[in-house]
Amino acid sequence: MSDLSKLDFDSMTVAEFEQYLPELFASGESGRLSEDPRLATFLTANPDCAALVRDLETIAETAKSLFVSEEEPSDKVWSNIEKKLKH
Amino acid sequence: MGLQGLQMQTKPNAGLFKRNPPIAGEAEAIERAKNGDPDAFSKLYSLHKRRVYTLCLRMLGNVSEAEDMTQEAFLHLFRKLGSFRGESAFSTWLHRLTVNLVLMHLRKKGLQLVSLEETINPSEEDAPKRDFGSRDTQLAGSVDRVTLERAVASLPPGYRMVFVLHDVEGFEHNEIATMLECSTGNSKSQLHKARLKLRELLRNPEQLPEVESSREVVQ
Repeated sequence: MSDLSKLDFDSMTVAEFEQYLPELFASGESGRLSEDPRLATFLTANPDCAALVRDLETIAETAKSLFVSEEEPSDKVWSNIEKKLKH
Repeated sequence: MGLQGLQMQTKPNAGLFKRNPPIAGEAEAIERAKNGDPDAFSKLYSLHKRRVYTLCLRMLGNVSEAEDMTQEAFLHLFRKLGSFRGESAFSTWLHRLTVNLVLMHLRKKGLQLVSLEETINPSEEDAPKRDFGSRDTQLAGSVDRVTLERAVASLPPGYRMVFVLHDVEGFEHNEIATMLECSTGNSKSQLHKARLKLRELLRNPEQLPEVESSREVVQ
């Protein structure tokens, strides 16, 4: 992966931003990447990149809501488990 | 136009604890089930069947296989329950057990769902387009969970696996790397590609297949 310590956030190109983005998201200890002060200058100068970051944050946030599900297996699953546990 | 009004993005590990709070009666049921109480094990099944089944369904993309693996997961749980020491949330432990069973099942089937080659080099058609900076690829509004569910079901299997494990289940990259036998860098890269692909898919939600039918054809 790309080493963030080598990155000049203010002068990086869009291509460099693309290269470093997976690591930037993965290192998001300070919260939302769109609000990371290191990226403020770059994202202000590159609104499409800013929109991309916000969209990817939205996807990641919405994904958390999928953790809870109303779907459940059919009754035969428990019936099979019970049968196997009795043997 | 980007999306507004979102919550802070937290690290998955923190999310795990928040998303796995103690369930009333669970600890007692675990201890009773360890001692062979069938009613207690039934209670554990009732408490966790939905999330285990949904995890299997998302990873496998097939209702029948998901039910079979749910059954296997709980039978495995019955055999392994004595080794649960409470060092992590029970549901976290059960989910890890389930993921490992599903991955073992996939490897036995010979499906290269999680191989490095497959996840690094998805087909050209499956890979996200490298045009993320262009304005016309941006989402136009908020994403609802039903639409996202359909989009996730449409992901290439390798992308879907990493996305479900990280963004939905809350596993960390190092845990995913261990489970999928890949590097943490690969896990981060595949997650990013999965999100980019989802962004593409979500731009045209009307073209997404329904969840049930999509799950049947995702394999």
